[in-house]
Amino acid sequence: MEQRRDTFIDNASAALKNLKQAERRDIIASFAPQIRAAAIDSFEGFGDLRSHVKKIRQHSLDNLDYYLSQFEKEAVHNGNQVHFARDGEELNSVVLDICQQHDARRVAKGKSIVTEETGLNSFLQSAGLSVMETDVGEYIVQQAGEKPSHIVTPVLHKSADEIRELFQEKHDLGPRDLHNTSDLVVEACNVLREHFLQAEVGIIGANALIAENGYCMLVTNEGNGDLCANLPKVLIVCTTIDRVLPRAEDATAMSRLLARSATGQPQSCYTSFYSGPRREGELDGPLETHFVLLDNERSNTLASNYREILECIRCGACLNHCPIYTSVGGHAYDSVYPGPMGSVLTPLLTSLEQSHLLPNACTSCGLCEEVCPADIPLPDLLRDLRHDESTKKLSAPRWRYGLKLHSWLARHPSTYQALTAISIGILYRLGRKRGGFSKLPFGSGWTSQREFPAPQEGTFMKLYKAEIKQNNGR
Amino acid sequence: MGGSARSEIFASLRKTGRGETQENVQRERLSLGSAPAPEPPATEVCEAFILNVLKNQGSVDCVSNRSEAVQAIAHYLYAHFHNYRLVTGNDSRLGAMPWRDAGVLPRFGSLEAGEPVALSYARLGVVETGAVVTWTGKATPAANNFLPKHHIVLVDKNDLVLTMEKAWERIHHAFEKTGRARGINFIAGPSSTADIEAELVYGAHGPHRWHVVLLGDVPVDARNIASAAGSDQT
Amino acid sequence: MNEQYHDHSHPAQRMRVSLFVTCLADLFRPSVAFASIKLLEQADCEVTVPLQQTCCGQPAYSSGDYDATVPLAQQVIGLLEAADYVVVPSGSCAGMICHHYPKILQGEWRDRALKLAAKTFELTAFLNDIAHIEPQHKKPSSTLSVTYHDSCAGLREMHIKEQPRQLLRQLCGIEVNELEKSEVCCGFGGTFCAKMPEISGKMVNDKLDNALATGAKVLTGGDLGCLLNIAGRAQRQGEEIEVRHIAELLSGDLDTPPIGEGP
Repeated sequence: MEQRRDTFIDNASAALKNLKQAERRDIIASFAPQIRAAAIDSFEGFGDLRSHVKKIRQHSLDNLDYYLSQFEKEAVHNGNQVHFARDGEELNSVVLDICQQHDARRVAKGKSIVTEETGLNSFLQSAGLSVMETDVGEYIVQQAGEKPSHIVTPVLHKSADEIRELFQEKHDLGPRDLHNTSDLVVEACNVLREHFLQAEVGIIGANALIAENGYCMLVTNEGNGDLCANLPKVLIVCTTIDRVLPRAEDATAMSRLLARSATGQPQSCYTSFYSGPRREGELDGPLETHFVLLDNERSNTLASNYREILECIRCGACLNHCPIYTSVGGHAYDSVYPGPMGSVLTPLLTSLEQSHLLPNACTSCGLCEEVCPADIPLPDLLRDLRHDESTKKLSAPRWRYGLKLHSWLARHPSTYQALTAISIGILYRLGRKRGGFSKLPFGSGWTSQREFPAPQEGTFMKLYKAEIKQNNGR
Repeated sequence: MGGSARSEIFASLRKTGRGETQENVQRERLSLGSAPAPEPPATEVCEAFILNVLKNQGSVDCVSNRSEAVQAIAHYLYAHFHNYRLVTGNDSRLGAMPWRDAGVLPRFGSLEAGEPVALSYARLGVVETGAVVTWTGKATPAANNFLPKHHIVLVDKNDLVLTMEKAWERIHHAFEKTGRARGINFIAGPSSTADIEAELVYGAHGPHRWHVVLLGDVPVDARNIASAAGSDQT
Repeated sequence: MNEQYHDHSHPAQRMRVSLFVTCLADLFRPSVAFASIKLLEQADCEVTVPLQQTCCGQPAYSSGDYDATVPLAQQVIGLLEAADYVVVPSGSCAGMICHHYPKILQGEWRDRALKLAAKTFELTAFLNDIAHIEPQHKKPSSTLSVTYHDSCAGLREMHIKEQPRQLLRQLCGIEVNELEKSEVCCGFGGTFCAKMPEISGKMVNDKLDNALATGAKVLTGGDLGCLLNIAGRAQRQGEEIEVRHIAELLSGDLDTPPIGEGP
């Protein structure tokens, strides 16, 4: 990942002021949870499935060295070349080498978050290749020179009008006005169809790697990933080492969770499995196929207390349900991985120093954990990252010392109760008329958005002790 | 470089791995069993499959024999294109169909630019997801699944399986004889996208119509479901 | 430690309940704690209030300062573990005791935390599921229009959903006028609301809008943090909705001014 600067709060502030986008985010925040809930309510065994897949994922990660080497062996047996990359730079250069060996000029890409993580597109483009994203959403994002705002639906931050304007600028439309959404889709697909037919290299990601038979699983609705996998002469599958599952049925069990959680479907339109080049006598398919398996901090994460984040299946449910993600949108996170899963993953893939605000973008409301099909305790992981932040003294000193002081006081009940009785007494007298405060020293965060309600007369402890005294005296 | 990346990654994985023997790893996986699958929407297999295909925005014809299959395909082609042309893989099962009886003019091969319809003969139908399964081979080019505007898929009632687990059993069994196919496609509907303002649009990169022809002894109730849905489709 | 108990009643066979007041009720809204005592006594419990209690340690814990949390957790365990039951008029403080103390403690302290967790209840869960509380007047019926805010920790950590609604029905004759997206966070989040105020402001505004859309006169809930947040926003926006803790409503205390409204 590129060096990043933690600008979450500023980005969020700007996003909240963009009212049109905020309105669209509100619509998604209502709509996405509904379609997910409908899909899950109609599948009684969903909870059992979730626990089953969790066990499989844990078992796979516990024995990742075994399964990764089994996958490698089977994939090679199927005729693939398997490469390993320690970091994004290595992945990018492996891919460029392959393209250059084939004198490739054009690359068609299926959706791959991993290659977003490594910045593959710009790397290949700077080497003179033409790289085209082929997922409709990714294509629009690429044409606009932006980044995806969501891991499943990358361009929901843009309105149809904005996309229409973009096409008017970038495409030769003639008299066509692309009135309907379907016109926009057809327009993008027509442009991309040409590119598919001319591309020498196809690059796709993978939702899973299957150790027992050396296949990768690719889940899409548009079919663009399948075109990338079947039409160009060379296919490169880029994914990370933690995606390996023992068996084929484990991958489809996971897809049961994935499709329902992401889009409310029982299965996405296309669930495909690929491994190896065109077999003898076949009419189509790539002549050469590669797997590039990226580590980029996954093995370190596996060794850490954060290993459960590797069980994430990239469904986007935690994004769709997170009240913070749906308030500020994906771009505020300035990372390939936004939302709760991203706020865990980004600091692990970059560094906590660069991203320590992200784990604070959380109210511990627990909705992400509730809807996570991989049963990842996201609020716990985020809090543990805040623990690391606190240990490394990365948080603002006034917060750190303030909390230390509060804890010290709370451990000394007499002092605490005496001090609070005095302060509350003062607050009561100052606030009793108006009922609240619109400004408070040390409370600007609170009062910038809301009044601070005035307390009642006296703390409970003061009143209660007085009551005891009175009763005893009687 | 590749070699050292590989050894470094494996070295760090071995540090966190349990270092179990192959036998123990496999035994542990076996002990975890199989995943629960959703209940089918009907007890009768054909009915359940058809209901799920319809849910996936597919249309369905039920036919008893190959002659009826050809008639149904001819009818579909005429209704949508006013002609009887299609492209299909050089599958011996398809080659042997009585195409001429219904005037259908198949071209055997891989779909090319300008050809709007392809027919595939599915290896399996999966009740759970309402999906058909094809895999690549000499007679089954992948292009025929993904490039046409209309994709017609023929599936035998006898090839319906309840779950994806059952589908894998059949796939692995078939591969024991032929070796592993390059690609396996579970197809559940016409291609679609909701990328623009979350509005669902059918026909993205792949087909915008998906028509399943279920061949065999299909019970009347199931047929009725298919035809009732079909009547509001065209 | 010099522990003082105040017994409100003495008969045998009654459930011995320790009330954990919570720091927010202690500081900002003692009426919540007094109402809780009244309700517990109405449910025939022997209530004690350990006088050395301060705070459960959530602020430090949520901010990741586990070192500062551990001694507070131990202090709370020491104060409460002698009781048959511990009742807390807050889902999030109850959640802290039940789910988070065992996470940060080890060995003997962890065992003690688990034992305490097993007998610690949020107020409405205790009144509805464990104790038996009778309405003071027969056939209560009320025309008061009330909406309920499900606090996240109450809902997801303590599974509080039906209990307050059931009690409102049974004790006050009130049928909750449900607000849309009732299970979405109000944006309080402890220190979150001060660390990321703009985002928190958007969230509480959404919550307030949904509450106002019900047309309810009163918004109630089980967590003072959320209620202070929502009441403060309503005040800032000049909206006329009364915000009261569920304990106050259930105990029939409508004379105390609602949160953030002067006498």
